Amino acid sequence: MSTADVPSGKRRSRAKPLRITGLNKWFGANHVVKDLDIEVAAGEFLVLLGPSGCGKTTGLRIIAGLEAADSGQVLLGDTDVTNMLPKYRDVAMVFQSYALYPHKTVAENIGFPLKVRGLSPGEREPVVREAAAQVHMEGMLDRYPRQLSGGQRQRVALARAIVRRPSVFLMDEPLSNLDAKLRGYMRAELKHMQHELGVTTIYVTHDQIEAMTLAHRVAVMDQGVLQQVGTPREVYDRPANLFVAGFMGSPPMNLVGGRIEQRRFESHGIRLPLDGGSEARDTVLGFRPEDAKIVDPGRGLFDATVYAAELTGDVTLVTISLGEQSLAVKMPKEYEVDFDSRVAVHFPLERGFLFDARSGERLDARLVAFS
Amino acid sequence: MSAGGRVIVYSLLLLWSAFVLFPLYWVVVTSLKLPVDVNAGPVYVPWVDFEPNLHAWRDLFVTSLGDTLRPYLNSIIVGFLSTALCMLIGSMAAYALARIEYRPTFGTIVLFVIAMLAMAVAVGVWGVDWRVSAAVAAAVFVLLARALGRRFKRRIGNGDILFWMISQRILPPVVTVIPIYMMFQTVRLLDTHIALILCYTVVNLPVVVWLMHDFFTSIPLDLEESAQLDGASRFTVFYDIVLPLARPGLAATTLLVLILSWNEYVLALFLSTSKAQTMPILVAAMNAGEKGILWWTMCVVIIVMIVPVILMALLLQRFIARGVLLGAVKG
Repeated sequence: MSTADVPSGKRRSRAKPLRITGLNKWFGANHVVKDLDIEVAAGEFLVLLGPSGCGKTTGLRIIAGLEAADSGQVLLGDTDVTNMLPKYRDVAMVFQSYALYPHKTVAENIGFPLKVRGLSPGEREPVVREAAAQVHMEGMLDRYPRQLSGGQRQRVALARAIVRRPSVFLMDEPLSNLDAKLRGYMRAELKHMQHELGVTTIYVTHDQIEAMTLAHRVAVMDQGVLQQVGTPREVYDRPANLFVAGFMGSPPMNLVGGRIEQRRFESHGIRLPLDGGSEARDTVLGFRPEDAKIVDPGRGLFDATVYAAELTGDVTLVTISLGEQSLAVKMPKEYEVDFDSRVAVHFPLERGFLFDARSGERLDARLVAFS
Repeated sequence: MSAGGRVIVYSLLLLWSAFVLFPLYWVVVTSLKLPVDVNAGPVYVPWVDFEPNLHAWRDLFVTSLGDTLRPYLNSIIVGFLSTALCMLIGSMAAYALARIEYRPTFGTIVLFVIAMLAMAVAVGVWGVDWRVSAAVAAAVFVLLARALGRRFKRRIGNGDILFWMISQRILPPVVTVIPIYMMFQTVRLLDTHIALILCYTVVNLPVVVWLMHDFFTSIPLDLEESAQLDGASRFTVFYDIVLPLARPGLAATTLLVLILSWNEYVLALFLSTSKAQTMPILVAAMNAGEKGILWWTMCVVIIVMIVPVILMALLLQRFIARGVLLGAVKG
């Protein structure tokens, strides 16, 4: 990198699109990433979301070049970087552990990517200062990482990643080591910074709140397989399958096992007509706790028994039991109900989803009102 | 801690210090005694029990300065050079074993051993020049390994390589000293610095690899991966990130290896006769002379022999501090 590449003043990164096709990775007999295809537009913030062990971090490490793919391609802009060493890829990564160099000061940490590119100390200084200012660490340039708090270390790691204006930003659960309050604050900072820099960003997390708030698009993964890619709203409102439905939301979507029989969904005490013709099969009905409400018995879609009611602060979370299953309904915080009382559950029919019980895929069939 | 507890602790420490330091004191005192006073028995207080005298010091540093200085310089050259060489090779080997996965086939290793044996036979039995023989053996090995390498299936891993290295220390050196002597005789390097430096380097290499491997694996991998992504080459990662963080380990290992080669006796006894003689040989020679055991001069030699190691220990001690990795990862 020559000095021409790092002009001072307000600089935007040369963001590049990233394309991954047919990516596979095995660890021994363990198939951790299966046929992963993702496209990330230039400047987009994509969050890879999934439970631990779902292959999201491995996918990220393959993009970084820290792990070799067994098959498939990683394209950065127009360049095939699949077999390129990390240092030639023009990607920066923020590690979960921050990975600050403990024997270097904050300024040396931030300036390290520039130093290994052969910039002189004089050239480095203003750039380092600017990056530090961007994460509000300009007053601590002479400190060592051990003298910093967790949040400050996180900022230094961020500054080190942005200092050389990479084409792609990779983040591996960067906020998971911070306490809850700081995490919320840093989340906003991250989002603001990414918007300002316009860097293509891939962010790995298991925290759906982080995913919902940060992402332009969320890619949900499970057991090495990409389940759904879409905007946070799409993923939340139109889950592609049972896994996504059960993973997103807190508490997640209520899922009621049943069967489609003669254009009707039937389950323990539930009988709901469907619009389209759908052949008989085992089916799961899903609806979100916040879409449902509790009404007097006989006036809802089905009757059930109150198991418990908890005031969580902003809402009252009512757990009701329907046969063997328990379902959650979010009610206003003023709502009060006796345990074991008989109630009915109602939700707008267009907010109910049907999934194939075997494949998990969402069905096209929709609920309709009784005719 | 209460005042009483403090008194007890410090008296115990004082007692232990006296216990540890007394032999040193004895050596110093003996170096200042006349032969008669030494033979008069264990008396330790100068000017009370005996009159201090510098005759032994004068003997070594005025009368026969050359005979004292040469082994001293030899020890310094051999000790420090072999330690430096050993640390250089050993730490790089240890880093490679800690971070790169090697999967050599068993067959290739067997080929290598066969090539080495063939070379030894050529040199020893048929009297071929060893340089020619080594070159031919290396060429044959490379060609065969390339040709047959794919057929071999059984592989060994880093753990096996590490164990093989440390297994070199299982044999007591005295077992191998005759073959080593013969080898250096063949290549006409007996009684040279280079023979001792090479020997000590090889003998101490397993210690360095084993210890440094441990230190290197304790450095969080995240740091190295982060440096790689920051654009550093493998060598820069090693030099700029790993080595500074392994400094306590480097210092401790350097000191240990220096002491090992500084005090080495058996190999030096066989490989050096006069020109390359080291200090331990000089000390040992003191109790076999025609003048009987020269306790006084021996003590002087021991004192001067201890000094460089103590200096190195003081120098390196400040690196052997804990907490270098503090702040690297997590909170």
